[in-house]
Amino acid sequence: MLCLRLESLHMDYDATHWECCWDRDLQSLEDCPNLVEGDEDLLVSRSRRFLEKCCDCDMFKRDLARFKESGHPLAPIFSVLHNDYRRQRSHIQSLSSFLDTKSLEVRFLHELGSVLQSSVDLEEVLSVALTAITSGKGFGMNRAFLLLADKDRHFLRGHLAIGPRSAEEAGRTWHEITSNDLDLQALSRAFRHSELTAERDKFRDILDRLVISMDNIHHVVVRSLEEKKSLLVHDAFNNPDVDPALAQLLGVDSFLVLPMLARNRRVGVILADNAITRQPITDNDLRSIETFTFPVAFAIERASLYERLQEEVAKQQEANRRLQEQQELLVKMEKMALVGRITSSIAHSIRNPLMVIGGFARSVLKATPDNDPKRSFIDSIVAEARQMEEVLDEILTYSDALYPMHDFWDANQLVETVLRDIQEKVLAQNYTCRFYPADGLPQVYADYKQLTYCLRNILLGTIDGLEDGLLEISTRLDNDQVEILIEDRSNRLEQEELEALLTPFAETRKMGSGLNLALCRNILEKLGLPFSVVAPPDDGIRYSIKLPIHKEEQP
Amino acid sequence: MNRILVVDDEVNIRLLYAEELKDEGYEVATAATSAEAVEKLEQNAFDLAVLDIKLKNESGIELLQRIVKERHDMPVILCSAFSCYKDDFSAWLADSYVVKSGDLTELKEEIKRVLAKKAQRRAAEL
Repeated sequence: MLCLRLESLHMDYDATHWECCWDRDLQSLEDCPNLVEGDEDLLVSRSRRFLEKCCDCDMFKRDLARFKESGHPLAPIFSVLHNDYRRQRSHIQSLSSFLDTKSLEVRFLHELGSVLQSSVDLEEVLSVALTAITSGKGFGMNRAFLLLADKDRHFLRGHLAIGPRSAEEAGRTWHEITSNDLDLQALSRAFRHSELTAERDKFRDILDRLVISMDNIHHVVVRSLEEKKSLLVHDAFNNPDVDPALAQLLGVDSFLVLPMLARNRRVGVILADNAITRQPITDNDLRSIETFTFPVAFAIERASLYERLQEEVAKQQEANRRLQEQQELLVKMEKMALVGRITSSIAHSIRNPLMVIGGFARSVLKATPDNDPKRSFIDSIVAEARQMEEVLDEILTYSDALYPMHDFWDANQLVETVLRDIQEKVLAQNYTCRFYPADGLPQVYADYKQLTYCLRNILLGTIDGLEDGLLEISTRLDNDQVEILIEDRSNRLEQEELEALLTPFAETRKMGSGLNLALCRNILEKLGLPFSVVAPPDDGIRYSIKLPIHKEEQP
Repeated sequence: MNRILVVDDEVNIRLLYAEELKDEGYEVATAATSAEAVEKLEQNAFDLAVLDIKLKNESGIELLQRIVKERHDMPVILCSAFSCYKDDFSAWLADSYVVKSGDLTELKEEIKRVLAKKAQRRAAEL
């Protein structure tokens, strides 16, 4: 409309009177100083050229002034319309710019929301949240501190922080971020994998001191959480509402307090500041950031719950595993108890006739002259009967060992007692036995009878049939257990032989009768005592028994 | 000559004990059951009793308790196929405990030791 009216004015004035080109078609971009490359279509479209270029052109303004001076009655109206058009256009431009900013913000929040919703990993959520606050693509704060409420909701404790500690570091980090041009997820992932621990350590001195009692309702951080309201703190060093210790710890005059609540549960608080750039924090910053604390709080809560759930699942799995082990052990124990009863019964039935055979054979032997050729036969009967009695003793001792005698014992004394018991046999076989007792060992909770039986049999099994060997026994404290370690430096075993040795009634002539070690293993398993035998190539055989120092650890 | 009462339900064991202990110079009487043993104890005086634990009807431990109660001056040696009875408190009433074996050396030594101890006690009383 304005354009048409101006064109009509052209009828009354000579074209050469107008400085601006609004009233004519142009041949080239050089004909108008406001035209730039890409504006070619404006050469012939006068109305568009007028609206886009002429309205802001100084030449047009001068044309308009001259027109006003001409005294034409429409001149003042044109001025009013021109000014109003320019004002409206400026307003539209500012609105458009605002919308662009908001659109970017929404896109960012959407990206943030997607990342947060898809993660149940607490560390990832925290990385995303703090990266979002401090990245230039996000809210662009210099530093962010995350305080999480402890399980009992008694204290807020510094958990994680992000940001540079100095201007130099800031310049380096921000340059890296800009040059890498990563999106939020990539940024937070990179942060989580490479820098999370480092950042935590970097801010350890501050995080460790960021402990705020949640009962202290006057504390600005707790108040923010109680009132469920984000706060922009100004003049922190002189602000009566701010704990001077907090201001001192952060070392900034102004910071944001962003409470995080999920279903009314107080999850934690984020503190953010511009400690490096000292750029003032505005209410707009506050409003922008507080929109994102809600999904962050939910994500943290969900991730925490997931983490706890995982812990519970792990505990449950561990409990199931233990239960299964116990069940297997129980089945084994029942079998062993049955074996014990059977062997005991058989042994008893055998012992009496064996005793009669052996006894009468001895009687006959006594009455047999030395030169009697039958004497060697009787000798054999006596010897075989004695050997069978020894096997019976072993089996009966095992049956006997099925009845426990639990109490607290001194592991060193226990080993010494066993060593004394077998001393004679050790000496007879010219074996060297060295004992290295650990000092200050706590007492162990174990079945004395069964344990000494096992120790004795392991040691005797080791030296059985061998001479001039070396046996080293030591004790040591291993966490909540006392370990008895028997190191047999003289024997060598292959894995198959070791397995055979641990199988009941198997025969490995290298080492004992084969029954001993298998029985010991079963007894120790029944007692719930970890027992291991390893035979490293060319390094002897090592037996390890671990004994609990607490009664409750005994299954 | 010391008189010994051997109580065991196995006839061959009774025979073996009797044979071996007689060779050692003891006078030996045998009983197959607890009841028979009680009867013999009432009829004759013995210096020592060797009891098997597993007897028919009444066990050797019960017989031991009865002997300790009624004839506290007569020592008793328990003889059993089970070494676990060594830890049985009731078996501690006996003066000695020997695990059965074809080699009677340990039993014979225990008999000597217990009888010597008894003789010492008597001498002290006198």
